[in-house]
Amino acid sequence: MTLNTPLLGISVLIYMIVVFYLGWIGYKQTKNTDDYMLAGRKVNPFVLALSYGAAFISTSAIIGFGGYAGAFGMGVLWLVAMNIILGIFIAFIVFGSRTRRMGANLKAVTFPELIGKRYRSRFIQGFSGALITIFMPLYAGGVLIGGARFMEVALGIEYNTAVMLLAVIVAAYVITGGLIAVMYTDALQGALMFLGMGILFVLTYAKLGGVVKAHQALTDMAPLVPANLAAIGHTGWTSMPAFGTPVWWTLVSTIILGVGIGVLAQPQLAVRFMTVKDTRTLKRAVLSGGPFIFMMAGVAYIVGALSNVYFMDTRGVIALDAAGGNIDKIMPEYIYSAMPDYFVIFFLLTLLAAAMSTLSSQFHTMGTAIGHDFYREFLMKGKLGNTITITRMGIATTIIISVALAYKLPPGIIARATAIFFGLCAAAFLPMYTGGIFWKRMNRQGATASLLVGTFASLFWLTFVNGKVASSLGISKAIFGVDTLLTGTWTFVDPILVATPLAFIVAIIVSLMTRPDPEEHVELCFKK
Amino acid sequence: MLGINDPQIWIAYLLCFVSAIGCIIYGLIHWNDVEEIGDAN
Repeated sequence: MTLNTPLLGISVLIYMIVVFYLGWIGYKQTKNTDDYMLAGRKVNPFVLALSYGAAFISTSAIIGFGGYAGAFGMGVLWLVAMNIILGIFIAFIVFGSRTRRMGANLKAVTFPELIGKRYRSRFIQGFSGALITIFMPLYAGGVLIGGARFMEVALGIEYNTAVMLLAVIVAAYVITGGLIAVMYTDALQGALMFLGMGILFVLTYAKLGGVVKAHQALTDMAPLVPANLAAIGHTGWTSMPAFGTPVWWTLVSTIILGVGIGVLAQPQLAVRFMTVKDTRTLKRAVLSGGPFIFMMAGVAYIVGALSNVYFMDTRGVIALDAAGGNIDKIMPEYIYSAMPDYFVIFFLLTLLAAAMSTLSSQFHTMGTAIGHDFYREFLMKGKLGNTITITRMGIATTIIISVALAYKLPPGIIARATAIFFGLCAAAFLPMYTGGIFWKRMNRQGATASLLVGTFASLFWLTFVNGKVASSLGISKAIFGVDTLLTGTWTFVDPILVATPLAFIVAIIVSLMTRPDPEEHVELCFKK
Repeated sequence: MLGINDPQIWIAYLLCFVSAIGCIIYGLIHWNDVEEIGDAN
């Protein structure tokens, strides 16, 4: 399946030149810490929306979750609705405006710093920074694998070289150009992705004879669901899985709720609210943010599910069989076989853009977490040093860890690594972040307790209860001699459903049982 | 509806379109909003 045409080479070259040009603009415009960390707090609404969406949607969403729709059907469209309503509308209007205002009031430049300053706690800032530093490389490693696999297949570059090449290219513009470079390149990559997915959407429906005809054909395929999948709850590609079955729990708890809610507490996304100068910019950004997510996730899942109809018409098999049983290969297989050559080339660029835009924001967030939050605020007790240099070294360090993980992680890990990180962020950060910006009574003790409970409850559930993760880690087996401590339905339930509510309850109870934070500090935080 | 029998799916399908269009309308309506100042929280 190697597409080694000169046209592809030239397209990638032009794309890279433009990316480096934008990186250079970022470098030229970066004059102080606010510029490097927050793009000078004056980003325009389209750049914000495209950059937020492009950082959010990676190869994992398009290939991983698109393939999931190919295997399990359109139920995953609920995640798209969640992403638009919660991940864009509520995030920008309700969370974004308060985050922006409090960030400006407290002069915070990173997500952990916003929380740390709200609760006047270096521990919270340092612990959050450390948590990001330790676990985000897992997510970044997953995205790196996706991008490198694309370069391996499309450009014929050896996989290990591709990982290194991709990391070095992204690192170069993130380290030199800071968040200005990250957001400008994200916006370019977002625009490419929008166009690529738009064309894919139209071509797919056109190929299958129109919207209703395509859906009807997919609905009629329900009896073709393989017996082993039907046994665990798969009922067809245009119907929800049977309630309470393993397929239903994975879809609803891990995918729809885990990723749908987890997005609210993503440090690399929340920090973007602090890059704009006023609430109006956030409201304007909703205009392009909503359609962007629809175009990415919505199109990937609809097309993924409909690929079954195409493979049935042309080869007489369902998508999962056409992809040799590997969910991650459904989307590439469909695009290679169903789409015209020129589009395949363009789509490969789209995927490269999706991987690079997510990677750049992850690298930037990890670097600032290490350099600013952990080193400067926690270890050096806020002593002024050359923060940007330390951050740049932090970025380089976490990139090396991510690259090492990309070499080491087992195949098929991309979507799971993403979901683990999203769930952990929701449990650890969401209660203290939500409480911090909406509830004046929430205090340092409540926030600290919820951070610790959310983090460790999540990690405990992953290590000892969640079937997939616990059995592959093997820690539970080594200590207790069983793969998981609980059995049955519990092993399908995502940690987010247990750890996040627990952390919320702890946050409320501990806050109410301890003294409120000083009134003048709370007033400063909430000042309009 | 739209060739899909399960309402749990066609509702989600339509909701994706409706929410994306809703975002566009919201953005247009509030395009020229003036920032409110001094409104104590």
